Amino acid sequence: MSDAVTLSLATRPDHVLVADCIAADRLAALDAKQIAQLPVVHGGRMAKLEDFFKVRGERSSVVRIEGDCARIEAIGSGMAGGELVIDGNVGRDLGVAMSGGRIDLRGNAGANAAGAPAGAARGMTGGEIIVRGSVGDEAGARMRRGLLVVTGDGGRGMGKGMIAGTVVVFGKAGSGTGRFLKRGSIVALGEVERPATFGYACTYRPPHVALLLRYLGARCRLEVASGQVTGRYERYSGDLAELGKGEILRWVGE
Amino acid sequence: MKINGVAIEDTFAEAFTMRVARLVITGRTLAWAREAAVKLTGFATSVIGCKCEAGIERELSDGDTPDGRPGVSVLFLTMDKASLPEQLIVRVGQTVLTCPTTACFDGLPDAPDRLPVGKALRVFGDGFQASKVIGGKRYWRLPVMEGEFLIEETFGMLKGVGGGNFLILARDAEAALAAAEAAVAAMTGLPGVILPFPGGVVRSGSKVGSKRYKNMVATTNDPFDPTLRAMTQSQLPDGVNSVLEIVLDGTDAASIEAAMRAGIPAACRPGVNSITAANFGGKLGPHHFHLRKILA
Repeated sequence: MSDAVTLSLATRPDHVLVADCIAADRLAALDAKQIAQLPVVHGGRMAKLEDFFKVRGERSSVVRIEGDCARIEAIGSGMAGGELVIDGNVGRDLGVAMSGGRIDLRGNAGANAAGAPAGAARGMTGGEIIVRGSVGDEAGARMRRGLLVVTGDGGRGMGKGMIAGTVVVFGKAGSGTGRFLKRGSIVALGEVERPATFGYACTYRPPHVALLLRYLGARCRLEVASGQVTGRYERYSGDLAELGKGEILRWVGE
Repeated sequence: MKINGVAIEDTFAEAFTMRVARLVITGRTLAWAREAAVKLTGFATSVIGCKCEAGIERELSDGDTPDGRPGVSVLFLTMDKASLPEQLIVRVGQTVLTCPTTACFDGLPDAPDRLPVGKALRVFGDGFQASKVIGGKRYWRLPVMEGEFLIEETFGMLKGVGGGNFLILARDAEAALAAAEAAVAAMTGLPGVILPFPGGVVRSGSKVGSKRYKNMVATTNDPFDPTLRAMTQSQLPDGVNSVLEIVLDGTDAASIEAAMRAGIPAACRPGVNSITAANFGGKLGPHHFHLRKILA
């Protein structure tokens, strides 16, 4: 058993590489050889993880990925526990259908991060995804539970169809953010284009946001301004065309 | 044994096992957090009449609380497992939920026994409540007219200790009160201990049962009542005209011992004759705090 399993990108994929086998809880039960033999899909053809990654360590629930994985999709798919730390960008479907553990991405993610598999009613159902960068469209779509934090910008349709859970975006949240939201919270610390089907409720200091942002500062070492922790937020309830029990909390200053 | 000329009797305080919870109440200011805590712990001096014992353990700075606001920690004790959540749900609902700006957090996160206090109180939200999981803990957000009340879903419960005590025997009421005040000042803020009586002091120590009234659970401690010296088998030495008692509850015996070790010497002031303790011959509870051993 090692302190961590490290996957270093040795061969850049020529096509899209679907690596949904990379999840911290799954790798925790495997030795280095078994990890290397895990199946991936490269440009529509079956391949093995060792064709692209050099594997160090074994049987650890802490997994590190090194290298630019912008063409690699579905990392952390269905992950149920453990910790996945990624140094570099990743492709779409990061942590899709994740149910536990934590993904810490030091880079940007493609579309549908923390989202749902195609056709599935539910996306992420637990755990935490911290993206220290920006995300593509529809991050957090159909999330049922869990936490997605984006320190950069969010794309279009962020949190689209969320059933519950929390999305925090420090940068700009794109158009359609929160559309079809049933429950759940989108905490927008930057600009947000909220749908017209959200109704303004009040401007106040939400106590759970202070608790959450302090947690992110302490546990995840994110830089959170004190004014954001203790500040005032506009609360928009929505999506009123749906169940309407969700909210967009927009930071408006101290 | 004597401290500052005050005799320490060779006896012990007898205490019993209780169930304890610790609540951390925060507010926009310490004054508001304290206001909620004072109401929460009101009428909670003794399980005999109040069904629970509670008190403010200590004040907490911004850095010591989950939400970074000033707060106070409160200990809450009952005699059994079932009555602790009952008391907490009723009292938190009426005193902390109602108090402006406050939030309520669990102060015993590692305790395996969990009390669903926030879970029960959530229904005040009438379906508009919402939960949030932050750092693996679930919190409930209850909409209120002020804004939102935040409370942790469950609170930890441990076996605690209730009924630690010592008695201050003094030449007059003024000396007894001054000694009691000094003892309370020395013990206030120590971790894991509360003094549940008014100002931390009891003037009406009791004995078990009654000599005259069958339905009375506790009645005046006549052997220590100076006005009854000539009428009862008094245990008061000559020259003692007033007695005050300090009662201590805590999370464990060690915390109570530490508090007694701080409080008793502080009570050994001019005008105090001796320090003793109340016990029932070892029949009441398993925790025995021997005064001389503690102070040795």
